[in-house]
Amino acid sequence: MISPTRLGAIARKELLQLRRDVRSLILAFLLPLVLTMVFGAAISLDVREIPFAVLDRDRSPASRELVEAFTASSYFTLLGELDRPADADRLLRRGEARLILSIPPAYARDLSSGRGARVQALVDGSDANTATIAINYADAITAGVAARAAGAGQPSPITAEARVWYNEALESARTIVPGLVAVIMAIIAAMLTALTIAREWERGTMEQLAATPVRRVEVVVGKLVPYVAIGLIDLAMVTLLGVLVFDVPLRGNVLLLAGIALVFIIGMLSFGILISSALKSQLLATQIALMATYLPTFLLSGFIFAIANMPLVLRALSYLVPARYFVVVTRGIFLKDVGLGVLWPQVLGLVIYAAVAFALAVRAFRKELA
Amino acid sequence: MPDTIIADGLTRRFGDFVAVDQISFGVRPGEIFGFLGPNGAGKTTTIRMLTGLLPPTSGRAQVAGLDVAREPREVKRRIGYMSQLFSLYGDLTVEENIEFFGGLYEVTGERWTARRDWVLENAGLGALRHRPTGTLPLGLKQRLALGCALIHEPSILFLDEPTSGVDPISRRNFWALIGEFARRGTTVLVTTHYMDEAEHCDRLALMNRGRLIGLDTPAGLRRSMTDPILAVTTANAPAAVRVVRELEGVRDVTMFGRVLHAVVENEGSARGAITTRLGQAGIALSHLDRIEPSLEDVFAEWIRREGGAVAG
Amino acid sequence: MRISGARVGRMVHKELRQMFRDIRMRGLIFVAPLIQLVVFGYAVSTDVRQVPTFVVDYDRTPASRQLVDWITASGYFRVSGVSDRSGDLRAALEDRSATVALEIPRGYADDVAAGRAAAVQVLVDGTDSNTGNIALSYIVRIVQRAGADMVRAPAGVSLEARAWYNPALESRVYNVPAVMGLLLLLITMLLTALGVVREREIGTWDQLLVSPVSATELMLGKVIPVALVGLLDLVLVSTAAILWFQIPLRGSPLVLLAAALPFLIAGLSIGLIISTLSNTQQEAFMSSFLVLLPALIFSGFMFPVSSMPQAFQHATLLNPVRHFLVVVRSVFLKGTGFADHWEQYLALYAMAGAGLWFGVSRFRRMVGA
Repeated sequence: MISPTRLGAIARKELLQLRRDVRSLILAFLLPLVLTMVFGAAISLDVREIPFAVLDRDRSPASRELVEAFTASSYFTLLGELDRPADADRLLRRGEARLILSIPPAYARDLSSGRGARVQALVDGSDANTATIAINYADAITAGVAARAAGAGQPSPITAEARVWYNEALESARTIVPGLVAVIMAIIAAMLTALTIAREWERGTMEQLAATPVRRVEVVVGKLVPYVAIGLIDLAMVTLLGVLVFDVPLRGNVLLLAGIALVFIIGMLSFGILISSALKSQLLATQIALMATYLPTFLLSGFIFAIANMPLVLRALSYLVPARYFVVVTRGIFLKDVGLGVLWPQVLGLVIYAAVAFALAVRAFRKELA
Repeated sequence: MPDTIIADGLTRRFGDFVAVDQISFGVRPGEIFGFLGPNGAGKTTTIRMLTGLLPPTSGRAQVAGLDVAREPREVKRRIGYMSQLFSLYGDLTVEENIEFFGGLYEVTGERWTARRDWVLENAGLGALRHRPTGTLPLGLKQRLALGCALIHEPSILFLDEPTSGVDPISRRNFWALIGEFARRGTTVLVTTHYMDEAEHCDRLALMNRGRLIGLDTPAGLRRSMTDPILAVTTANAPAAVRVVRELEGVRDVTMFGRVLHAVVENEGSARGAITTRLGQAGIALSHLDRIEPSLEDVFAEWIRREGGAVAG
Repeated sequence: MRISGARVGRMVHKELRQMFRDIRMRGLIFVAPLIQLVVFGYAVSTDVRQVPTFVVDYDRTPASRQLVDWITASGYFRVSGVSDRSGDLRAALEDRSATVALEIPRGYADDVAAGRAAAVQVLVDGTDSNTGNIALSYIVRIVQRAGADMVRAPAGVSLEARAWYNPALESRVYNVPAVMGLLLLLITMLLTALGVVREREIGTWDQLLVSPVSATELMLGKVIPVALVGLLDLVLVSTAAILWFQIPLRGSPLVLLAAALPFLIAGLSIGLIISTLSNTQQEAFMSSFLVLLPALIFSGFMFPVSSMPQAFQHATLLNPVRHFLVVVRSVFLKGTGFADHWEQYLALYAMAGAGLWFGVSRFRRMVGA
């Protein structure tokens, strides 16, 4: 029989200890706050104002027009005009310019004669992300110029009217902040709980506990309770910050978010307790908890880097990372206003993870000494 | 009245190492039963098996009429336990610790309030109830731990080296408390390596290298020591030990500070031999008296008969 | 200040022996770096390929089909579903079976034939802004090109794009060298901090203080082994990068080393400072983690510095990782020399000097020298 009295005693003790442990409190509340502010304000994946330079060996009205088209675009920012190819080399090597637009001397002539003009874009390929975007827009701009030149004032034959849904301005904050909720909760949940049980072993209080009639389940659940509360408070905090400070919309159902978050938190906390029970040293538990949560959560959850772009092995591995499911949920609820109908696969994944983690945590937790 | 604690062939192995080897004994209700032995003798392991903390490799343990291996939680409801290292929560206050353990034993409401007051009074911590436990001196901590072990009024108490590291006066007070509880009917099984504390027990079990080598009342144990003991006081004890040890008719010599205790076969001849030999070696001898065997002497003798204590 | 080379040598020897005997240490020094390398190398990819695209074609003419072909021919997009109801489009974007949707209006072919402007609708799922950005740029480019090709007479302008240093435009080429920065910082900080604090925890620290060892010798004894391990890891990771990931090392290893050394020293100094502030290994570990996190975030490792607000960009100048990453990436991919990045070298050496001075003085104070 599970005794609520015993369970309550454990939960109450955890809470009292937590209240007095400054370090844990900082981890629980300050760190999420700081991370949200940092990621919301400073981190962006947007590529705009790519610095470029021009090597214009034609210097004709036509070449000027081309350069104008580049400068006018919000994607490029002109560093300057160059005279010698060696200068272009230097700028690229130092990373000062990401793209060099090289216009050959016969540009205007080739264009008007119908032979077809060719320009060159030398792109710093080391940062493939920026380079790709730079090349694409460079090509698009050039094509636009070409079409206008041919049609002499006519609009381009085909235009793509692009609309971005859910995140109209493609602002990084809206991508990052909902995902951040998942990441923060994952890392912190595991770290906090990783310490609790190891601490009891190290201090010897576990033995005393073992001599009492308390059940394993009661201990695990009792220890989970205060941290679940912290997790939900963190959720509220990050959500409020995101909505109020960073303009992240919250279009979906808040209660649904809270409910799914609950399942997610329980899963991550149970994982922390599992680590803490298996390794009886606080130091080791911390290290393993960090390694096992920070790396996968940061990289394989889709928080920053799209899972779809990863090789098969990593894509498969990502299915084992619960944050992956939760990132889909948070983004869906914040940005898309979707419900269970769409999110049920993620919810299922989270429920399974939580159930397995919890069961393993209870099993792994042996208060008996052998 | 049936025994409240019964050990029957209790054995515990850790790999190849046998920590506890076929221990059998019974403890009567209301008895103070002591376990004496050097470090590594297996006392803590035995207590852990009796309290359900460690399953035995073989043998049976029965506490309060219940089989420990089969119904550990039922047993735990009826016993109190104090582990060797102080293991209450240092970052909780005295009262919070009492509340926690009360909760674990489901002592609530009015009953808890009464028990809490009792624990505080017994430990003398009434004024300090809101003090963080970690800041208390060790003697008070031990009294608090004892109180928490008794919060649910169990009839059986297991204490594992409850006074290690505590100052002598606090130790005396602590044992006075134990005596009180025993008088009121609580069975107490306690391990210790303090010989003077062993005197307080109703019966003593001597353990060495995992085996039970003696079981009797303190008086009985002392009487079992038939060989006379001579106390030899010299100016140079270490040198004297070397000399006396080699003498014929001297069974064993132990050094207690400056005084040697020599277990001899025959008092008369031994006196002569010792006096002569020490004189030859140039070691001044100030006293040579026969003494009553203390538990320490008994213990050293029994261990010696068993082939020596476990190293370390 | 007398330094006995022999005493320091013995301490270094003991430290190294302890390090390599401890399984956990060996894991940290050898295994963890390689795992991180593999994971970061493969996971941190922003390459976009085969983006699932939902097509709603109201026109259903050869011309409209041709447009879809152009788009899929690029290899960047693949058709994940086709329908003639816009409701399906919405559903596809919602449940993420498509990231991009293309809606071709009725009359498209007519408009094109008549030389009128034909507009197609492109809808991009912006929840992942990065993928959205890239997908958008591809679509815009393809469509513009298609349009330009249509009015080819007279011939238009073609853009020949050459991507230097990384012609295949693989993102791991950028990330793998950067992992080196992460690892070196992690190892130097962590090992130094833990190494000092562990000795304090165990109690052998007092033993050392009581011996004739001077504060400087003590510090060198702790710091030199970590530096050596750091260099070892540098070589290990570089080799893995070159052999496994086939990242070219176009520059000179000496140029790289000239930047790695001050970087290592900076990391060691931070580790020393952390060790003076922590009482237990636990604290040292957490503190290192809390320093590592911002150091990584504001270094250009995963998030481009140029995309940060101005104030933050200036702040990153104080981060040695930022400078080291510029150098390491350039040396590998661009074959740069000292002159190309003299600002970074200057910053690194300045920081190493400052860090060392600060770390040493705190250490000496802690030792009571």
